[in-house]
Amino acid sequence: MDVIEAAALGKRYGRKKWGLRDCTLSVPAGCVTGLVGPNGSGKTTLLSLAVGMIRPTAGTVRVAGEAAGSRAARELTAFVAQDAPLYRNLPVRDMLRVARNLNARWDHGRAVSRLDGLGIALKQRVGALSGGQQAQLALTIALARRPELLVLDEPLAALDPLARADFMRSVRAAVAEDQISAVFSTHVIAELEQVADHLIVLGRGAVLLSGTTAGLAAAHGEASPEQVILSALRENARDHARDHAQGAAR
Amino acid sequence: MTAAAVSGRRAGAAGRPVPWTRLGWVTWRQHRAALGGAIALLAVIAAYLAYLGREIHRAYAAYYACAPASLRGVPLGGLLMNPFSSCGRYERAFMSFYGTGQGPVGASGINAQTVPFLLLAVPVLVGAFVGAPALARELESGTFRFAWTQGAGRVRQAAARLVPLAVVLTGAAYGLSALFSWYIGPFVRAGVTGTFPMQLFGTMGTDFAAWTLFSFALSAFAGVLLRRTVGAIAASLLVLTVADVATLMALRQHYLTPVAVTGGAPAGLGNWVVGNWFTSTSGGPADQNASAAIVRHLPPGAPASQVVADLASHHYLQWWTYQPASRWWDFQLIESGWLLAASLLLLAASVLLVRRRPA
Repeated sequence: MDVIEAAALGKRYGRKKWGLRDCTLSVPAGCVTGLVGPNGSGKTTLLSLAVGMIRPTAGTVRVAGEAAGSRAARELTAFVAQDAPLYRNLPVRDMLRVARNLNARWDHGRAVSRLDGLGIALKQRVGALSGGQQAQLALTIALARRPELLVLDEPLAALDPLARADFMRSVRAAVAEDQISAVFSTHVIAELEQVADHLIVLGRGAVLLSGTTAGLAAAHGEASPEQVILSALRENARDHARDHAQGAAR
Repeated sequence: MTAAAVSGRRAGAAGRPVPWTRLGWVTWRQHRAALGGAIALLAVIAAYLAYLGREIHRAYAAYYACAPASLRGVPLGGLLMNPFSSCGRYERAFMSFYGTGQGPVGASGINAQTVPFLLLAVPVLVGAFVGAPALARELESGTFRFAWTQGAGRVRQAAARLVPLAVVLTGAAYGLSALFSWYIGPFVRAGVTGTFPMQLFGTMGTDFAAWTLFSFALSAFAGVLLRRTVGAIAASLLVLTVADVATLMALRQHYLTPVAVTGGAPAGLGNWVVGNWFTSTSGGPADQNASAAIVRHLPPGAPASQVVADLASHHYLQWWTYQPASRWWDFQLIESGWLLAASLLLLAASVLLVRRRPA
């Protein structure tokens, strides 16, 4: 069973620029999937389409069996955007209340006990928390919604290595505990074996590779998934340069 | 994951949408500071109006009780009573609140004549400073990526934000203008002023509330369009000024066809004279040179009545067009009507824009 199913999905910005083009992929349910690719490969566009923030120009995308952007899909999907945007002027307590009042499903006790475990005081202002704590608060709010799918856009980019490890450990624990699925995008390919069960490599809006983290390395005869990803991205870049040169020659 | 767990979750997901009251709480939490500021401003003005209004009503009652019965209800303006009569001091005390006499209020520069001009700034300020950030702050700070992906959809959230703010601000503005109408009432009853002049038309009746709503809706729309609070404030101030000036200069006088009369000017302070011209013997517009020749023998500075009489003896007729005082409420409702329609369109467009272009 797949938690995200995209078919011939495309998103064009303006007249000519495609953020994602003819993308068909599936994200398996019940595990943590890493969406890997260089900047501009369409990761954020794909996730924005999946959470219903934007509408596709072409094709379809379904999350947890529901059309992306529908109320049912919205209620089953929790999204933590890049840099975990929250209301910085509010105390943590009111930030939780805002989130509670914006959702039909909300597990308040879980949010409070999770913050307690993290040592984040409810009376602190969100803006006064460290970057790692803000990311944890955003994750806490996402999990308190009891989603089937957790979507994280570049959750690691702004965090130091220690906070990064803590954050991904929290995600893995929640996925295991709640039996949910998670997908996160990243352009950092180090340490992927520890955090992702499944990998999807995007290059210029198309899927280059998809498979389990362990299986990818084995199937391509490489020592680690990083090597596989790097060679796939290099090949993609070479193809692109060649297409470009041919186009120019014509 | 078991099938039962999935279907249990699905049952929850397919349930009722987030109730409006809960979205209303979020609006309150996000805007209580801005609303508090706006309401505090209105409350200070209201306290001032209430205090001086009481004084004005007292002074008017004293004057009214003293004036001879024959003068009651006669417009005060042109018929100022003999200042040496026993009632003169009551009249002077009353008129000092209007800024035409001595006394602390008259001398302060803030009096019943100038207060309505100051009040005209309120809809503009309140609308811009509450309306512009209503959605723009979410968009410019990036928190829309949090808000618009919660269970309650962004269309409902935008509506739950704009509608209560619009209702509260419009209601508060209506309350303030009702208080102002009471405050200025004695001067209107005493015949000191009519209520068609723009500073009174815009602060009485429903016009003040309607402009407040329009200012709010315009600023909110500018906020969604420009995605910047400061830019939205500037843009909405500009557009609002243009709309205001255009209404005053060109639009308002045409809401209803004016009444045309010939002979003397329409009597009554409450009427709004919008046109004044001469016609010649043929009935067409008067020839400037010919009419100038007729009155050339008059000394410079001759009274207008003599000029009109001279021209009349040569069959030149003076015409007046005016909007009668009895149409004042029609004019109020016409202007409030189109402002309300424009505001609803702007609010709907704001919500639609959030739906179509969230990022």
